[in-house]
Amino acid sequence: MTSQDMASETEAETDDDSLVTTDPGKGGLDENDDRGSVAQTGAGTVIESRDLDVFYGETQALQNIDLAIPENQVTAMIGPSGCGKSTFLRCINRMNDLIDIARVEGSLTFKGKNVYDTDVDPVALRRRIGMVFQHPNPFPKSIYDNVAYGLRIQDKTENMDEVVERSLKKAALWDEVSDRLDDSALDLSGGQQQRLCIARAIAVDPEVILMDEPASALDPIATSQIEDLIEELATEYTVVIVTHNMQQAARISDKTAVFLTGGELVEFDDTDKIFENPESQRVEDYITGKFG
Amino acid sequence: MATKAPTQTEFGEVSRIKGIVFKYVSFVASIVGILALGVLLAYVFWDALGLESAGTGWYLAYTGTLLVPLLAFFAYARTRPEVVAGAFELFSLTLAGVMLTVASVIILSIIASPAVWFAYFLTVVGPLLALFVYGQYEREATWVGLAMLLTLVAGPVVGTLGLGILTTLGSLLGSPGVYFLSLVIPGAALAAFLAAERFDASRRLSLGIGVALPALAVVAVPLVDTVPAISRSVWLIALVMLGLPVGYAVANTARTRERRSAFALPVIAVAGFLAGGAIVDAIGATKPSPWLDWQYLTSSPSISNAAEAGLYPAIIGSIFLIVLVSVFTFVFGVGAAIYLEEYAPDNGVLGTATRIINVNISNLAGVPSVVYGLLGLGIFVNIEAQLGPLTYGGFGVGTVFTAALTLSLLILPIVIISAQEAIRSVPSSLRQASYGMGATRWQTIRNVVLPRSLPGILTGTILALGRAIGETAPLIMIGAATTKFSPPAGLFSKLTAMPMQIYAWAFLPGEDFRYGVVAAGVVTLLIVMLTMNSVAILVRNKYQQEAN
Ligand SMILES: Nc1ncnc2c1ncn2[C@@H]1O[C@H](COP(=O)(O)OP(=O)(O)OP(=O)(O)O)[C@@H](O)[C@H]1O
Ligand SMILES: [Mg+2]
Repeated sequence: MTSQDMASETEAETDDDSLVTTDPGKGGLDENDDRGSVAQTGAGTVIESRDLDVFYGETQALQNIDLAIPENQVTAMIGPSGCGKSTFLRCINRMNDLIDIARVEGSLTFKGKNVYDTDVDPVALRRRIGMVFQHPNPFPKSIYDNVAYGLRIQDKTENMDEVVERSLKKAALWDEVSDRLDDSALDLSGGQQQRLCIARAIAVDPEVILMDEPASALDPIATSQIEDLIEELATEYTVVIVTHNMQQAARISDKTAVFLTGGELVEFDDTDKIFENPESQRVEDYITGKFG
Repeated sequence: MATKAPTQTEFGEVSRIKGIVFKYVSFVASIVGILALGVLLAYVFWDALGLESAGTGWYLAYTGTLLVPLLAFFAYARTRPEVVAGAFELFSLTLAGVMLTVASVIILSIIASPAVWFAYFLTVVGPLLALFVYGQYEREATWVGLAMLLTLVAGPVVGTLGLGILTTLGSLLGSPGVYFLSLVIPGAALAAFLAAERFDASRRLSLGIGVALPALAVVAVPLVDTVPAISRSVWLIALVMLGLPVGYAVANTARTRERRSAFALPVIAVAGFLAGGAIVDAIGATKPSPWLDWQYLTSSPSISNAAEAGLYPAIIGSIFLIVLVSVFTFVFGVGAAIYLEEYAPDNGVLGTATRIINVNISNLAGVPSVVYGLLGLGIFVNIEAQLGPLTYGGFGVGTVFTAALTLSLLILPIVIISAQEAIRSVPSSLRQASYGMGATRWQTIRNVVLPRSLPGILTGTILALGRAIGETAPLIMIGAATTKFSPPAGLFSKLTAMPMQIYAWAFLPGEDFRYGVVAAGVVTLLIVMLTMNSVAILVRNKYQQEAN
């Protein structure tokens, strides 16, 4: 297992266990963890999985995944359809909890805290790990209300107008929508909707952003806008992105994880290394299109 | 055999005989039912309106002044969907406003005296309205919902405790004063709000509207006093309950240019009636002698004199039922649907239990209404239970409360199923988006699921209500009277309902009863149901537009 190398670099940051909350409605997050200083340390590990197995009923979707995702970098996940990339992503913010038959074994830590511990509140966890889905899914509300959604549910309503504007600017959407914030989000084009979903995710200032094929439903221009955006985001956020597009992974990511059929992680390394000189023959075959 | 072997230039032919036969068979099948119902309704209207005795002159006059212009309008509107929508909105909101007025007058004057209403307005309704408005403006105040819930719980308690003082206050004001404060003022605020928010009226204009309504209420009082049938209180109630919906419909229609010709419909209707009446008087034609007239709607039933018979107590009984049943079914039905769809687990032992419950709700929807009547008789009338110091002795034979509970049980499965359907149709990607943002289950339901499914829930509930008010069997089972000479005076007083009264008349020996009076009752019932259904359609269209 080549993926083991990364795990050794882990500096477990046990800076807080504020995922643990006694009030599930409010998600007792304290916002005073000093992220600025962490950013200086470069490639500290934020998310780390060890021996992670995931089952849907009887079928196993992921086997023995060991993976360490570095902070403030873009980590790409590639692999053939059905190999468990989305499943892994959903494990990180416990969206798998919403699937009744899904069962997770092993450990997955976020900032040193196992997110599957019984005292972790998944709602509080998801407030720190944002997610963007494969198909744009804005709410049938106004553009403004979409971006403000997370702020409202998390009671972060001071300076809401400013935060909305800042998020839309970061998502490179402000210029297109600034004069029609009260229009329905469903009137936007697909690419604009996806950028709106990104704005919605970053409005609440998460620490990690998970993206599941965010550009798969978009045309090349919208795709390249999203790619620029992702590179931009990586200066502030840790980004984990699933993609079927090799060039995309090569262009925007710092690290790449290759999953292959059967739910195993075959190789995890620097993106350059994976694309130029992969260890495993199967990965090379997959990347060059001989297989998968 | 029908397909020839295709050659280079010919494609051959595929037989469509079966398809064509099937198409016409389905067409006939669908027409037969509608035709049968149409013929029956035509008969009923014919009898109810006494059209038989009208002379040729009458027919000619109204054909010329009313029927032909109406048909011309329909022909004109046929290709203009905007006009149809406008006309439909004007028509159904006016009708709904009339019913709302009647219902409010009845409920405000029968259930609660103006003073008691005022007490609860001050402690429950008023604060709720204020909080709601505040919540609309201050989107950031998340405590508003909780405060509303608290008011709903604490308000009635406070109101009951302070009933003495508060009713004295209400009596000092007098009933017109009470309605002015509790209906006209909030109504004016609502009108101003709608003008500003919905119709983008200028600040001045909306303020003007907000001031004009109370001013009109006061200024028109001398005029109203000259009409003995309308008391000052009725005037104030009607101004709000009828004036607001009609005003809304008018403003909404006037706003869109393409819709404006919809105003031709009310103009044609009113002018046609007046002109027709004038012509009939001028040429001295025989008028019809309708059974369904003002006297019919406002007098008590008679079993000996058809000309004096009226539906008043039954109408009041039905209105009580509609109001109570809609509250019960909405609360319990939507609550159950939300639980089953959003909270109940899909797997494991509990999942099996959920599935069993779901299947049985579908079964319950098919249980005959007599059986529900029996259930009502059993648990709401007959059971006596002693729970420590509490004695439960049922809610009385044939009372309003028993009847409302029984009918609620009857339609609850339908309401639950349609609400579940509506909730299920909310795309799961929206739920995922909400959970992914770190929303709790309740926040997701409140902000994403409910707004999206409300049109479906409302339509299902209103259609089910239509079924409830047409039921007789359960009412017979719980011992509701078929004929009552006075309307119910409270929740635990006996009632009769429209279908019950119609049923009673249908078996009297006099021809006038069996044809005229019954027909008039059926038409009244149908008008109530059709109004409810058109309001359901309006509500659905409204929310569907908003959801898109
Ligand atoms: N909700 C579910 N219930 C049952 N099985 C599931 C569910 N979701 C995923 N699976 C199974 O788990 C495996 C991995 O699915 P996953 O969605 O993670 O694949 P993926 O790598 O994201 O594929 P794609 O690239 O096509 O999105 C598949 O075999 C799939 O059938
Ligand atoms: Mg996937």
